[in-house]
Amino acid sequence: MSNKAFLLGDRAVYIAFIVIVLGLPLLIDDVFWLNRVARYLVFGMLGIAMALSWGYAGILNLGQGLFFGVGAYMVAMSLKLQSWTSMQQGSDTPVPDFMLWNAQPGAPTDLCCIVPGSWLWIPFQAQWFGISMAVALPVVLALIIGATIFRLRVSGVYVAIITLALVLLTRLIFIDAQPITNGFNGLTDLGWLTVGGIEFDPLMVETYYIVAVSVCIVLLLTRWLVSTRAGLILQSTRDDANRARYLGYDVASYQIFFFTVSAAIAGFAGLLFVIVSEFATPTYFDIAFSISMVVWAAVGGRSSLIGAAIGAILINTIEATVSESEMFQQAWRLIIGVLFVLIVLYMPRGLAGLARDLLARLVALGRGKEADSAKASRNPAE
Amino acid sequence: MKAALTIDALEVNFGGFKAVDGMTSVIDDGELRVILGPNGAGKTTLMDLVSGKTASTGGKVHLFGRDITNWPEHEIARAGIGRKFQIPSIFRELSVLQNLEVAVSQEPRVFRNLRLGIPAADRKRIDEVIDLTGLEPVLETLAGDLSHGQMQWLELGMLITQQSRVILLDEPTAGMTQGETSKTADIIMRLKGSHTIIVVEHDMAFVRKIAEKVTVMHMGKLLAEGPIRSIEADPAVREAYLGTGGLH
Repeated sequence: MSNKAFLLGDRAVYIAFIVIVLGLPLLIDDVFWLNRVARYLVFGMLGIAMALSWGYAGILNLGQGLFFGVGAYMVAMSLKLQSWTSMQQGSDTPVPDFMLWNAQPGAPTDLCCIVPGSWLWIPFQAQWFGISMAVALPVVLALIIGATIFRLRVSGVYVAIITLALVLLTRLIFIDAQPITNGFNGLTDLGWLTVGGIEFDPLMVETYYIVAVSVCIVLLLTRWLVSTRAGLILQSTRDDANRARYLGYDVASYQIFFFTVSAAIAGFAGLLFVIVSEFATPTYFDIAFSISMVVWAAVGGRSSLIGAAIGAILINTIEATVSESEMFQQAWRLIIGVLFVLIVLYMPRGLAGLARDLLARLVALGRGKEADSAKASRNPAE
Repeated sequence: MKAALTIDALEVNFGGFKAVDGMTSVIDDGELRVILGPNGAGKTTLMDLVSGKTASTGGKVHLFGRDITNWPEHEIARAGIGRKFQIPSIFRELSVLQNLEVAVSQEPRVFRNLRLGIPAADRKRIDEVIDLTGLEPVLETLAGDLSHGQMQWLELGMLITQQSRVILLDEPTAGMTQGETSKTADIIMRLKGSHTIIVVEHDMAFVRKIAEKVTVMHMGKLLAEGPIRSIEADPAVREAYLGTGGLH
């Protein structure tokens, strides 16, 4: 019975979320704020990816930034080549400005050989290539990483350590390959996404809608995914991998599949983030960023996809608001840290769990009243 | 009668120590076999070898004539062996019904499982198992919140929904009250005939209630095999149990 109430409550939250996200441009006139919200929605998508791998699969991925960052760089490379400055370097084909600063004297101004490895950029002249690589490369990487660790039956804290090390390694590689990645500075001064002749200025309402619709679709698709039998079996592997094995399931194949889906979502989020923020930097591979994602999911409720999304959006909105005051800006990290510890200790199911408990109490209250009135109506007859 | 499980000179060597050492036994289709033995006789290790948890270093295991020696666990499970652990092993954060839904699926592949709902035939089998185990009142309860006995029945129920032809039960009544033990015995008796069941058990009252044929292991080897009465009278068995208090 109470399950029905939860299902209804759940559905109501999803509908409310989608309506608000899609209706927001009607309420917010300020395009700068709308652009900010679009960024937070992207973080909400990262929250969904984290809930999927941590909450549903029991895989604590401390290196989710790897997939986000790789996705971001892939699309940023295409957009960099589309930028106005890339056409101003004195060649017929676009060449990123920073490559000239790194080039040997006399090197030809062409992607083929201006700096060692610059030929890697050649296919990115096609925007669709960068966009598809933003999801495809994270998927391939996740397949390789996932197949290695899950076939070896690595689990628990060791997965966290390995993924953490991998994101740091990726950070090193991207900074070290300065001639083709612009090192610490990352890829800035990007062109706009152009589809069918329309240029998507990050400050346009249309660009907000690209992100908003994407988040809603990802949310619903992931929701469907965890409701399937495969999603249920995945949760069973989280609870007791051995039991699942003795029921005949190849646990690793389920872990690899959902780890990869989570990576694909993170890569897609990286793609969207570049479109709304117009830069890609190695800070995406910082540990702090990957750990932030864990905090968002924990606060929102890691066992709830929409909870984790709301957690991410909420924390970032609050952070943006309070960071405008000098005092809070300093204290913010401390506040988030304490909040995280408190939630892990006392509210392991996060905001989503809190909402469910409240709903359960309301249902119980309603039932109590019903029972009371039923008693009252019976009593006079006695 | 057709052999369900053939254990042939099975052996495992843990760095010089042979926990199971040339064990041989044939369990017929539909039989209920009890495996007895003093502590350290290698009973649980034998279960580990048969179910694929531990790789054997010698000998063969055949399931209905198929060589399943050292297959990965999930493939042995798909071939028809279900295993219940000593400590109840269930999905604690899923409801009782969801536990059974995971167990019932005959489709192991990820992509084939990307669908909603449970086929009617599977639903029917789940209902039968719910009847058999009496878990009806707790279907929506999280499995982790069940009583110890209910957890054991749920795990047993999962093996039945899984349609394992051979079921390995490792001390199914450990930690149970007398009432729970007797209910467990009832469930096992009802499975007799439709499933081949192998039980490792210490509780002799329980063993006498369910056993037909008994296999006694000692030091990783077969010590004696036969009907419970003749086993209890066997001097070699008494010898092996000496110092551990004998069979009682």
